Amino acid sequence: MELNCLGMRCPLPIINLARAIKVDAEIILLSDDPATLADLSAWSRMTGHSFEVIGPDKYLIKRL
Amino acid sequence: MSKAGTVLRVGSITGNFQSESPLHPAARAFLSDAFDRGWADPTKIPVASRQAAILQNEAKEIFASHLGIQSRHLEFLADPSLGFHLGISGLLNPGSTLFFSAVDRSEVFAIAESSGGQRLPVSIKGEVQYPSGDTDDVLAWQAINGETGIRSAQPQDFAGRIFVDATGSGHLADLPSNWRTALWSSKSWQGPAGLGIFAVADRSIWKNPLPHLDNAITNSEYSLPLAMASALALEAHVLEYKENLARITEINSFIRNYVSTEIPDVDIAGSNESAVPHLLSFSILYTDAQRLVAELDQKGFAVDSGSACSSANLEPSHVLAAMGLLTHGNIRMTLHNEISEVEVKNFLKTLKEIVRELRE
Repeated sequence: MELNCLGMRCPLPIINLARAIKVDAEIILLSDDPATLADLSAWSRMTGHSFEVIGPDKYLIKRL
Repeated sequence: MSKAGTVLRVGSITGNFQSESPLHPAARAFLSDAFDRGWADPTKIPVASRQAAILQNEAKEIFASHLGIQSRHLEFLADPSLGFHLGISGLLNPGSTLFFSAVDRSEVFAIAESSGGQRLPVSIKGEVQYPSGDTDDVLAWQAINGETGIRSAQPQDFAGRIFVDATGSGHLADLPSNWRTALWSSKSWQGPAGLGIFAVADRSIWKNPLPHLDNAITNSEYSLPLAMASALALEAHVLEYKENLARITEINSFIRNYVSTEIPDVDIAGSNESAVPHLLSFSILYTDAQRLVAELDQKGFAVDSGSACSSANLEPSHVLAAMGLLTHGNIRMTLHNEISEVEVKNFLKTLKEIVRELRE
């Protein structure tokens, strides 16, 4: 599933991602918030997910 | 509680966990006296100037004894941030490499931007691997990180010249034996703002990066009365820090334990072992720092935050990002000497309640 969070500011992209990934085990997140990259790494560590950058402002997140 | 402690309590704001605090009462009590006695130019001959020179020397001796340097190495700066340029650029040669860490202050990044340099990565625990370097290389070494309170390891193996950033550590910085320049900020011991303490260990290898005609480090004017007041604040702060150390250490552990057990999903920077007891930073997942800070403020608690949404430029704290710590929902606390256990418990109860509401 693709989750469009463009234009949203932290912590909204991570909050929306956390909701979405409960439904789908894999999410493509679109986010241009400057805190997203740093927060994805911390959030993945804290909650047991993995992520990779797949394009500009584009991330692939997986449940572990 | 001593008489001084009573005065301190009356003069302080309750619930202040911000890094800034009101001027230390010891400095404030002396201010008008300081302006009466320290107004003259200490370099001139008349009696008022000679008196000012004596006071200047006394102030320098107080700073030197508490900061672990010699008074002849010491220089007062009206603009503390100028000390980064003096301290780092003054050590650089054309062939030098500047090493600095990803959690250094932005003033260091600004110098590296123009002089070039190598940014050293920082682990999630705040550790930095220092290179051995060449004798001409320069290391900007931060004694204690002002956001997380994490102490840096001693850069013993570094062969080059070391600039010590002690602006976040005050009198707690342990100077490496091979330090060459160092900078402190008067604000870190509740002294007046607008005063930096700069030191050069060896003038023979330091070259003044500012335009200059003589041997003076700067020709900028600083306020001698404020320097005298700052020296008294430092003296009192050192004593109170010692007196309160065990208590503040216990409060810090209590907060760490509380937020990690009572509030789900909190990312805490460092540990009791790696960080100094009076600083603490933690981030609360799925919360908006701007709202946290505002709600806490309404309930009478003032805290700092390194989150993007609470900063003017929408960029998160580069310290949190470099360490891989959560950057949203960040709360940064300074545990001042006069903070009470009751205040802290009330703060934590309030914080827990606010987080629950924000997460709903």
